[in-house]
Amino acid sequence: MSVIANNAAVKNAQAFEPLIVAFCCNWCSYAGADLAGTSRLNYPANIKIIRVPCSCRVNANFVLRAFQRGADGVIIAGCHPGDCHYMTGNYYTRRRFSLLKNLLAYVGIEEARFKVDWISASEGNKFADVMNGVLEKVHKLGPNRKLRDSRWRR
Amino acid sequence: MKKIAKDQLALLWEKIDQNYQLFLPIAKEKAVNFSTWKEGAEVDLDALRTVNSPKNIIFPQTETYLTFKKEGKKLGLEVVSRDEEYVVFGVRPCDVASFKLLDNVFLGEPVDKFYEENRQKGLIISQACLNPEETCFCNAFAINPESAPVGADVATWDLGDLLLWEAQSEKGKAFTEALSDLLEDVSEDDRKKLDEVKAGIKDKLEDLPLVHVAPEKIEGGLKEIFASEVWDELYQRCLGCGMCTYVCPTCHCYDLKDYNGNGCGERFRCWDSCMFSDFTMMAHGNPRTTQKERVRQRFMHKLVYYPNNYESYACVGCGRCTERCPVRLDIVKVIKKLGGERNEL
Amino acid sequence: MEKIKEEIRQIAREALTGKKVDIILAWEKGPLWYDSYPAFFTKEEEVDSLTWDSFCINNLSKYLLEETMADKKVGVFVKGCDALAFNQMMQDNRIRRDNVVVYGLPCPGMIDPDKVRAKRLNRGLTEVKQSGDELIFVTKDGEITVPAHEVYYDKCLYCHYPNPVVYDQLIGEKVAAETALDRSERFSQVEALEALSAEERFAYWDSQFSKCMRCFACRNVCPACSCERCTFDDDDLDILGKAREDSEDQFFHLIRAYHVVGRCIDCGECSRVCPQDIPLEKLNRKLIKDINALYGEYQAGLDPSTKAPLVTYQLEDADSFTAGEKGGKGT
Repeated sequence: MSVIANNAAVKNAQAFEPLIVAFCCNWCSYAGADLAGTSRLNYPANIKIIRVPCSCRVNANFVLRAFQRGADGVIIAGCHPGDCHYMTGNYYTRRRFSLLKNLLAYVGIEEARFKVDWISASEGNKFADVMNGVLEKVHKLGPNRKLRDSRWRR
Repeated sequence: MKKIAKDQLALLWEKIDQNYQLFLPIAKEKAVNFSTWKEGAEVDLDALRTVNSPKNIIFPQTETYLTFKKEGKKLGLEVVSRDEEYVVFGVRPCDVASFKLLDNVFLGEPVDKFYEENRQKGLIISQACLNPEETCFCNAFAINPESAPVGADVATWDLGDLLLWEAQSEKGKAFTEALSDLLEDVSEDDRKKLDEVKAGIKDKLEDLPLVHVAPEKIEGGLKEIFASEVWDELYQRCLGCGMCTYVCPTCHCYDLKDYNGNGCGERFRCWDSCMFSDFTMMAHGNPRTTQKERVRQRFMHKLVYYPNNYESYACVGCGRCTERCPVRLDIVKVIKKLGGERNEL
Repeated sequence: MEKIKEEIRQIAREALTGKKVDIILAWEKGPLWYDSYPAFFTKEEEVDSLTWDSFCINNLSKYLLEETMADKKVGVFVKGCDALAFNQMMQDNRIRRDNVVVYGLPCPGMIDPDKVRAKRLNRGLTEVKQSGDELIFVTKDGEITVPAHEVYYDKCLYCHYPNPVVYDQLIGEKVAAETALDRSERFSQVEALEALSAEERFAYWDSQFSKCMRCFACRNVCPACSCERCTFDDDDLDILGKAREDSEDQFFHLIRAYHVVGRCIDCGECSRVCPQDIPLEKLNRKLIKDINALYGEYQAGLDPSTKAPLVTYQLEDADSFTAGEKGGKGT
């Protein structure tokens, strides 16, 4: 019995394909993704990248909407502080999403499901690491139901 | 007439719950609302009025009409219907009266099939108000809080340790029959006690601060009231939230919306509020662009338009808006401002 | 407060007759004991119905929005919390200061009608009088004296700014700014929630949010929610649907709280007006607490010349998501 049950559990775990939405700054993290690709680094196809002109273009609505419509994890990736293409954008990102991250944790969203990080255009390795890291953790957590619209089908 | 000891009520809930979905006034922290009964639920029969009116049950805030699903080139449609018969226990006479007002709208031609089904599947058990509060003014609409209201299948009275029970409709009688092992016949003493309590209610009503509200004293026809200057002043403090319309047992405006759920979805009906800027939004925009027009719409509907159509005010004096409006722009003040007040009782 | 009421009426009359202002924003009394509400006075003779008592909870600053008042000259009475709101709306460029005459009212605290009802003091109640730290409830059967702090709103017990921080003219004596409860205590409920597990926290908030019927009273009463057009009201954007659906309730509440980050003056009006008693202050205070911890102590509405925390930054700011990396002090 237990063997069959275990097999079923393994099967279920395999059946779970996490969906991660990554908002990437056009000038650094998106180029970082490109570099990861051209360097033939592996990062999973479960990551759906949405290119934004700057990490501070991301609105809190976007993050919640991603969770509402099926995302199991959300990533915001921008230039390192000091390197913003528009001089100051990511300083705002830092304040805004520091607060949002804490707020989401406060209402009970597992912390691993929402990640903000700085990834420059030259950090193809870091890009792959961050993406794999989030994916791994989300995989362990399983599908996200919190904040999900019950009427939405994946 | 039957009776049941109050400490036996949990058994009664349990029994009803076996065959019906049972709604009761249940306290969740400070707010008491009609919700489905579960063992151990904090049933509050003393709360005079729930935050949400029981309109929520017969006319839910969101009600799915149909679901659709795309399968290849085909579109699958499925009409949703209410699955279970239900019982609402502890509906106050004002709220029972509000059901009739909703019936006028939804059961008149053309009949609203979804609403009709909701009504047919429900059984209403009223509970008389023996202790009306300062915000109550149901007597202004000829509602007797101590009575067995028309429209209730069963009427009950809470006499402290006893609950008196009287079936009124055929449906209520059959329901009472099915519960006969828990209900016993009342004694002559019980009847007497009920009569005494009922007689005492009149004094209590006359003592209430809003007893002078009298909408029938409002003078003027539709056009005069519409053009009245009082609206210029009344609307000013309105914040434009929809609380009054959502807690109101008689507000019944709704919107139809579709939800696109990625290759599937649903069409649903949801409450709308004339206080909102997108109420009755049409291709050309909104017919009521200022808050003054919206406030006027709400009260004209309650006090003029609805009575013109159905010969009855669309208010039951439950006092929810009186208690809840953040800026105290309630229907009592509007009625008084329009001259709806009597000097002596 | 009786004495001050007369003084207020006098000031209002003089301002209107002297054409100093076009409108006076104050409060009026309705038929019930707790029934004090915002009122707009334009004529001298109307001022007789102006009131000032322990139920004037409504914040009149909210009515000063530029488009509401057009080019009218307005005289407004503000309590301590209303003055913070006034400053906040100034900072948000939503009030034209030149058009407003601010009359400051030191506030002893406001009575929570629910607490009065819970004590069953409302039966036959006709009037409530203030005498020092005590309140006298005048009923048909006699008078009952109650310590004021037992029936004041919780938010008043934490209030640190009972005296208006902005005014053109102050009416009456300033009141002591000591609070009945320690100000830092206001975060204790937030900390209690933080101590729970993620599952428990989600269960808690889910049960709270699911009570919401989206009447938007919390938003409309909020002095920080002063946008010309709220994003939730824009039908074309399809940000928020109208269905009762848990995820939409959660979406609304998180975004509402987030939109007032750094601008919330913690006046507690949102939780006061909530018909379903959703503890919205626990969301607002969580954000205030985090701002204080990450970016330094900040009280919105205290000084309109400063910048709100989310529209400014420091190069060496901390963050809550990297651990000691470049640009962050870590947490």
